[in-house]
Amino acid sequence: MKLIFKFSLIMTCFTFIFTSYAFSEGKIKIGVSIRMISDIGFKHGKMMEDEIQMINDSGGINGKMIELIFLNDECKSEKGIANAQKLIYQHNVHLLIGSSCSSVTLPMVDVSAKGGVPHITPHSTSSKITKRGSDWIFRVPISSRFYKSVDVAHIVKNVGLDLAYIISADSASLTQAEEIRDEIKRDHGKQPLMFVTVQQGEMDFRSHMLKAKSMNPDALLISAGTVAGAAKALIQSYEVGIPASVKRILGSGASKQEIPTLAGDAVKGVYFTAAFSAADDRPIAKLFTRMIKDKYGVLPDHDFSQAWDLIQIVEHALRKADLKLTDESLASDRTAIRDAIANIQNYQGLASGPISFCADPTPECRDGNKTPVMIEYTKGGKDFVTKVLGTITFKPNHGL
Amino acid sequence: MKILETNNLSKSFGGIKAINNLDFTLNQNEVRGVIGPNGSGKSTFFNLLTGIYKTDEGSRIFLNGENITNLETHLIVERGMARTFQLLRLFSEMTVLDNMMVGYHLHVKYGILSSIFGTRTTRAEEKRIREEMMELLVFIGLIDYAFMDATELSIGQRRLLSLGRAMAMQPKILLLDEPAAGLSPVNVDNLLKIIMSLRKRYSTTLVITEHILKVVMETCKTITVLDYGTKIAEGTPTEVKNDNKVINAYLGEELDDDQVLRELNS
Amino acid sequence: MSFSNKYRINLYWAAIIIILSLLPFIVPNLYQMHLINIICINIIMAIGLNIVKGFAGQVTVAHIGLYAMGAYSSAILSINYGFSFWMALPGAVIITVIAGAIVGIPSFRLQGPYLALATLAFSESLRIYISVNTDLGATIGISNIPPPVIFDFTFNDAFLYYYIVIPFTLISIYFSFKILKSKLGRAFKAIREDQLSSSAVGINLRFYKTIAFVISAVYAGLAGSLYAHLDPGFIHPNNFTLQESVLYILMLVIGGIGHIWGCIVGAVFITLIWDLTREYYQYQLIIFGYD
Repeated sequence: MKLIFKFSLIMTCFTFIFTSYAFSEGKIKIGVSIRMISDIGFKHGKMMEDEIQMINDSGGINGKMIELIFLNDECKSEKGIANAQKLIYQHNVHLLIGSSCSSVTLPMVDVSAKGGVPHITPHSTSSKITKRGSDWIFRVPISSRFYKSVDVAHIVKNVGLDLAYIISADSASLTQAEEIRDEIKRDHGKQPLMFVTVQQGEMDFRSHMLKAKSMNPDALLISAGTVAGAAKALIQSYEVGIPASVKRILGSGASKQEIPTLAGDAVKGVYFTAAFSAADDRPIAKLFTRMIKDKYGVLPDHDFSQAWDLIQIVEHALRKADLKLTDESLASDRTAIRDAIANIQNYQGLASGPISFCADPTPECRDGNKTPVMIEYTKGGKDFVTKVLGTITFKPNHGL
Repeated sequence: MKILETNNLSKSFGGIKAINNLDFTLNQNEVRGVIGPNGSGKSTFFNLLTGIYKTDEGSRIFLNGENITNLETHLIVERGMARTFQLLRLFSEMTVLDNMMVGYHLHVKYGILSSIFGTRTTRAEEKRIREEMMELLVFIGLIDYAFMDATELSIGQRRLLSLGRAMAMQPKILLLDEPAAGLSPVNVDNLLKIIMSLRKRYSTTLVITEHILKVVMETCKTITVLDYGTKIAEGTPTEVKNDNKVINAYLGEELDDDQVLRELNS
Repeated sequence: MSFSNKYRINLYWAAIIIILSLLPFIVPNLYQMHLINIICINIIMAIGLNIVKGFAGQVTVAHIGLYAMGAYSSAILSINYGFSFWMALPGAVIITVIAGAIVGIPSFRLQGPYLALATLAFSESLRIYISVNTDLGATIGISNIPPPVIFDFTFNDAFLYYYIVIPFTLISIYFSFKILKSKLGRAFKAIREDQLSSSAVGINLRFYKTIAFVISAVYAGLAGSLYAHLDPGFIHPNNFTLQESVLYILMLVIGGIGHIWGCIVGAVFITLIWDLTREYYQYQLIIFGYD
């Protein structure tokens, strides 16, 4: 009897959770799985929500409202997979947005491909994502295969080939650093002086810096995983006495405004590549910068601009797609949205270059932005100044 | 026939000699009392015998002629020497029956693999052990509490259980460390009765330390008296009772005036 | 203890097995099936942890490390060495068992929080090792771990994979009960209650502690391997952090440490709460106490 009682207790638990969610017809459902814990991640989510609200307030998409469902994945693949499945199979979303971290987006690509749901990523740069050959994935940001080429070109032309890498072990940074290393090895036959990976969240890089100093590198490639870590790494590089003549090159995360604020003068002369610069003087960028500053109290980095661009692209696509939004039309609606996104050509938003997609499930088609911008910090501190060194637009098949 | 023998048994903690060159022999089927004032080294002696403390160099302990000095506790126990603890140390979150069955651990006739994968024979063996332990519980009078946790027992019942657990081990020698501590006189009599009938049943050799002199005086034919880790007397209860050294150890030496002056000056 | 009583219990088990095997036909969508698979894997983990922690009383935080060990060895065996699931799973279990025996060594001398710290060192350093070692996928993770195959039939979605997971779960629960009711379980509990006293009844502490760690490693290796091959076959070091370790301890604590049914209820409960809270991420901190 006891056994039956316990078993029925567990089964009650199951039924409590497994009552299927009601299908809300007539609404466009968009599922979002991003890291919602950190302050900045929360703001990205909030901005997406506000933008969608604005679309709904102005009459929606051809009269249809958009419903946004947020799930937090904490940058953990296990939760990202669960989120994607929950959004696809339980909430029956028409479109999946996610995730902030490449390591979470990677398995999500498999899930969305299997479920047949258009999937568009706002922040993941790892080139592996679009190489998986999924018919359903689209990438708004710049793939690491473009970033690395800018870095390599810059290093070869202006810096020198003796490099020391101090790379955080998170998937995007690591992929990019490895690609830079491999390209330099392939084209110029030069091995890196040192290549160390450090834990994500590491704060003390001095031992690595000292080792790098003893090798007399031309440049330090630093990627610390967190903004605080990156700022610390820059400060520590001066503390151990690496002279200013050694260039410091950071990843795209360096566009976050905390880095110059925390690192102060140590940020001067740091190069990085990104998809957006707050110093951009196009009117649309100025407007956007002011809007973000007013609404969310921060200067936008390229994660903000990419999330914003993503919403605009989604809006464009949804307006073009022929949606029935009934129970039965779920699969055809999803296909229609995918095709509409694939048809987007030369969307010019905040990003440094036009964003275009096409129908083939290849990186050429699915990596939207192909124009990284190289930025240098000329002044640190709270009122930091950046200078755009240049932008390069790559051919779609570059670096494959 | 000698069953247990120690030569030169010593143990010091820092500079203090808890046990000092103790020679001790125990014959088969004997009931031996070990008495002594507080801090005389009775518990240390037991801890050395059962390998809980490591002895100092030069010490030898023989069990049935085999040198068991500084063997690990479970190996000594395997060779037939069991003990109870002054502070009982029962398995308090386990039932009374489980406590007894843990005591039977060494005699269980199946191995680790069959306790995971075994089926019929393992179950039959478990049943046999359970019945045997139930019977032993009847014998010590705890059968009504068999499925209670050990924490729920009264102090007297716990003393009985600790005795029962030791008996379940079916030892050749059983060291009882103050088995009657904290019991009322009626319970003490009851306990002694059970100890003696268990002894008869399993023909175990007993060593009893006790504060309550009545217990040892009534049950033991030979008594060893310890003081400051050395043996100061050994003999029948009457001999020991009348020994000057023993009286001094228990009552404190009376010093005459000259001695006091000498002590003060030194 | 009569024949009819035993017969009835068998009948209960039969009923439970029938209900469980029909579950995929009741469950409405794939996500919920995925969640059930995760629950089953968590049950295996929780009862494995219960053996070393609930029965034998050894406070270990290394269980998550062993889980990672199982997942990664299964993944590496099947990707780099071409093992099928049915070969990779026992292989992973064997590797995990060896690791488990090593993890058990500090328990000979350390107890309580000190043992927890020593075992924590194992699981954290393993995770860090994985996350900086590019051969193990580093933080890019290992993807495309092949699903199990029986005679050309591929268990590649959650509905099918359930039939792989559920027998292992039931077998794990069954053996956990058997261990509890045998000499082994009694020895474990005795060690939990009083180490000195257990050695005084002839229990070889080192041996039995090692056995406890080894058995729990079998469970962790099994769960890890099952998790690695679960669709879409992706593992990443972020899934094996201290947070998850705390989660498994929480499963035990909620159900009552040392009780097998408690662990199962705890595993179900925590997994479901974990699932619910992702929608209400603002409140996750309140519920779990960390982010």
